[in-house]
Amino acid sequence: MDKFILSVVHRPELMPEYINTDAQAGKTEELGGTEVVGESLDIFRLQQDIAHANGIKCTIQMTYASLYNDEAIQLAKDYHEKYGDEIAHTFLGVQCDRFRETYGSKELAMWLFPWDLKVRVVRDSFERFKEVFGFYPTSTGSYFMDAELINFIKAEYPMVKTAVAACFEEGPKVFRHTNNTWYTLLDGGPWTAWVPSKACSHAIAENADDDSGIVAVPHLSRDLLGVMDNPGDMFGTHPQNIIRGLAYEDDRLPFMYNLVDQYQAIKRYNKGYSYNLVYVGPGWMGKAGRWECPYRILKKSYEDFMAYYGQLKRQGKVTDMTMTEFADWYRANKAVNEPICALWKDTIFGTKNQCFWYADSKFRIQIDLKLGGAITDIRPYASKLKRPCGAGTSANQDASYPFIVQSRYRGGPFTHYAGEGAIKSAKLRFGGEEVDLSACRSTGRYEEGPGWRKLIVRPVTVEFQHLKVQVETSYTFHENQGTIDIGRKIVGLSDPSAKVEVDEFITACWGTREYPEDLTGCTLAVIDRNGTRNAIDYAYRCREHAAADAAAVEAVIPMVQTRIRMTPKSGPCKGYYEEGYSFAPNLKIGLCRELGLDEELVTVFAIERAN
Amino acid sequence: MAQGKTGKINYRCPMCLFRTIDYDLLYDRDADQFYCRRCNWEGNEMAILSLYRVYKQQYPDMLKRWTVEEILAKNEEADTPGTPAGKGPS
Repeated sequence: MDKFILSVVHRPELMPEYINTDAQAGKTEELGGTEVVGESLDIFRLQQDIAHANGIKCTIQMTYASLYNDEAIQLAKDYHEKYGDEIAHTFLGVQCDRFRETYGSKELAMWLFPWDLKVRVVRDSFERFKEVFGFYPTSTGSYFMDAELINFIKAEYPMVKTAVAACFEEGPKVFRHTNNTWYTLLDGGPWTAWVPSKACSHAIAENADDDSGIVAVPHLSRDLLGVMDNPGDMFGTHPQNIIRGLAYEDDRLPFMYNLVDQYQAIKRYNKGYSYNLVYVGPGWMGKAGRWECPYRILKKSYEDFMAYYGQLKRQGKVTDMTMTEFADWYRANKAVNEPICALWKDTIFGTKNQCFWYADSKFRIQIDLKLGGAITDIRPYASKLKRPCGAGTSANQDASYPFIVQSRYRGGPFTHYAGEGAIKSAKLRFGGEEVDLSACRSTGRYEEGPGWRKLIVRPVTVEFQHLKVQVETSYTFHENQGTIDIGRKIVGLSDPSAKVEVDEFITACWGTREYPEDLTGCTLAVIDRNGTRNAIDYAYRCREHAAADAAAVEAVIPMVQTRIRMTPKSGPCKGYYEEGYSFAPNLKIGLCRELGLDEELVTVFAIERAN
Repeated sequence: MAQGKTGKINYRCPMCLFRTIDYDLLYDRDADQFYCRRCNWEGNEMAILSLYRVYKQQYPDMLKRWTVEEILAKNEEADTPGTPAGKGPS
């Protein structure tokens, strides 16, 4: 397969977020004011014209407000007739005078409404859509849609095939970027199209029984390295977001093209397929400019972006599809639990940094190659956590899928003064010295085979005072099995007769953000070869235990219904757990073995649902 | 003192940008000065633009174009960091 697919989405929003918020200028709030509506529709027309001029088909997502605007309705019909654009639906852009009068709410985020209002908004807007266009929409969307909302829509309107269901890695980093006011707390989902689980929309479905019935797409396609330590809203297939990150000079934004080209490149890791979604709201192309950037550059950046896709289309390198066309293609060509994978390379920070992302129905894993290939983010999809969000739920605004490792929110390889941060890595010990492989920068290469994907971390050199050791790390992901074989092989020794101890460990926790969560109730255990189990309930008492010949070490984190287990693939290992304490609120398990030249420690790391 | 207003150009506070916070500056016409309501930065347009220039230094490849082929080939060379020279004593 050689398929790079593009969906371009526009919406005739009548009160764009970034046009009508003009508090500093002292304007009174006037919903649906003539000037705002007029400008917004002008921008919508402009975006449509730019895309069509470059031969790109669009998906027009009708907002609640636009479903009551004759001009917007007529525009959608005309574009559909002339260009074959899909007329679709969105839960963005609900606010207008009619909405306030009907629902009595200023809430703008569909995923945050109380359940009874969600139900009303779905029914009212879908029925209005039918009334206006004569058919029900087959695609919809919002910044986020939880499984409960998707399941309800599918039950009431089974013709829906696809939805913009999340914004990749919009979470605490974006919240902070927006002066703690943009409530898209949605970390933890896939970065490209997936079939969501019926239980949790972030998680990829297990099988046909777990299939929610839609193909979900993220709101934008983002730079997978840029989002790791930066807000994603500066690094996506959204020219004005790149401008927001000041990654441009005059009217030149090469990074915009690099991003598209890197998405083409990752076909290599996805069996010849890759996908881009472009979704620029009209508020980003207002005549008044956006922040420091004048309208001229905002407009030109969109023209240049669409022109590039147009060029790729003429060269046969991209296929433009509406959202529903893409959903049909995905169903015909991809499995319900299709794994997704990317070895991503830096194209903007001027480094050799890389990261590797893998996700299937059991977990989402992020590996940072500059940390020696340490795992720096784990989302345990195996547990299929039910996390409804919105008013009246316990999660409320926090719609993220919880992590059990997040090295930036929870310390990672570097802590101030005490304890250890959340990370999955390995340590080497020799002659009383200890080195964490996360101190050794590297790069990776990729292999794949039937049912498995493999990241090989290029060997790194650890320098002890009297020994140099070269270690190669590998991760073999068994698709949808919930296990990773992690190999640590000694490929070079300055003294070929020397032995070094390898400590394969994970320091885990749970949460969705930076602050620690309570670990009381977690369990830690070492099971030896005789089946003897030494276990404790977590109580911040810094307890430790080790067994010389361990069959497995495991931890259960009941708050996220997750069990993690490490077992040696073969041969003896010392196994241990370390409880942690309040100033180091993590739990740690590990397996250790002495290795000589050309010897390898392979451990099986499993992530399972714990009931 | 006069009410602060959004300037003709809606600049963001450069110091807040450095810690990845978008925060609009206000303009004090009497003092001919922009100021931030979150942190303690204040200054003129030239100071804003020069700090934006510093901000952009985090992107050394900002103006570099990487093609698909260049991205796939990137870091595939033999001299990647930490690659061992060979087995045995060194």
